[in-house]
Amino acid sequence: MASLPKRIIKETERLVSDPVPGITAEPHEDNLRYFQVTIEGPQQSPYENGVFNLELFLPDDYPMEAPKVRFLTKIYHPNIDKLGRICLDVLKTNWSPALQIRTVLLSVQALLASPNPNDPLANDVAEDWIKDEEGAIKTAREWTEAYASKKDQKSTN
Amino acid sequence: MSDTEVRAQLREIFRREGLGDSTTVLQLLSQLIPESLQEEWLDQMAEADKKGCPESFVDSLPRVPKSEISPSSSCSICYVNYLNDGYPLVVRLPHCGHDFDLECLSVWFSKSTSCPLCRDDVLSHRAEVDTSQVELEEDWGMYG
Repeated sequence: MASLPKRIIKETERLVSDPVPGITAEPHEDNLRYFQVTIEGPQQSPYENGVFNLELFLPDDYPMEAPKVRFLTKIYHPNIDKLGRICLDVLKTNWSPALQIRTVLLSVQALLASPNPNDPLANDVAEDWIKDEEGAIKTAREWTEAYASKKDQKSTN
Repeated sequence: MSDTEVRAQLREIFRREGLGDSTTVLQLLSQLIPESLQEEWLDQMAEADKKGCPESFVDSLPRVPKSEISPSSSCSICYVNYLNDGYPLVVRLPHCGHDFDLECLSVWFSKSTSCPLCRDDVLSHRAEVDTSQVELEEDWGMYG
């Protein structure tokens, strides 16, 4: 494997020494470009009290290209599809090499706090969200409880 | 074929078939455009397809003199301290004033036109930047 750019080493060190509240990101032993990530659901959102697992991969062209981020935990959200793919501008057209792993994960956390059904990735979820917001939020809460509850994660880890 | 001959032929085509055979008309019309201008247009079209900034833009960016670089500042693309390099090549975007390693920025600008830090579209101020810089470079290039 080619040597790891200094930037990735610095980012990784800072993620450990100065972690973002509610977010953890640890590189995989065998591949320092692959991170196991957890994000706590923001308070007062349907994802509150949930802990979501994600994977983050830094492509060879990083930071000229955005990190690839995907939810591993099932989640009911209009901008996240069944495969865990995320519809977020900074991961696509609005990526900038001055952004970092840290800022990307903060954006993902912010997306949990403010779902945007008008720019959907999961079309059926977005439709439900627009038709019956209250019902959709209830479903999101149930899924959080069922798939992302802190208690479950502790017992399985 | 001289311009007068081309014009005569065009008139003849229009008289015969109006705008029917547009390929011939376009071929003839293109002969009226000076070759240097045609090349310039083709270059511009090729650059527009590329999405990023033209190389001439990146080359024309003002350099930050070593004496003006603060010891603590680093490039926000590679995170390396500018003064780690004995001969730092740091450029400043003329409009927003953000600094980057020339090497890092030129890779980014090969596919984008926005400042990594503030997203300012650097080509939207291009006219004012380019003319002044290009003249300067030509002056140097002649004897450099």
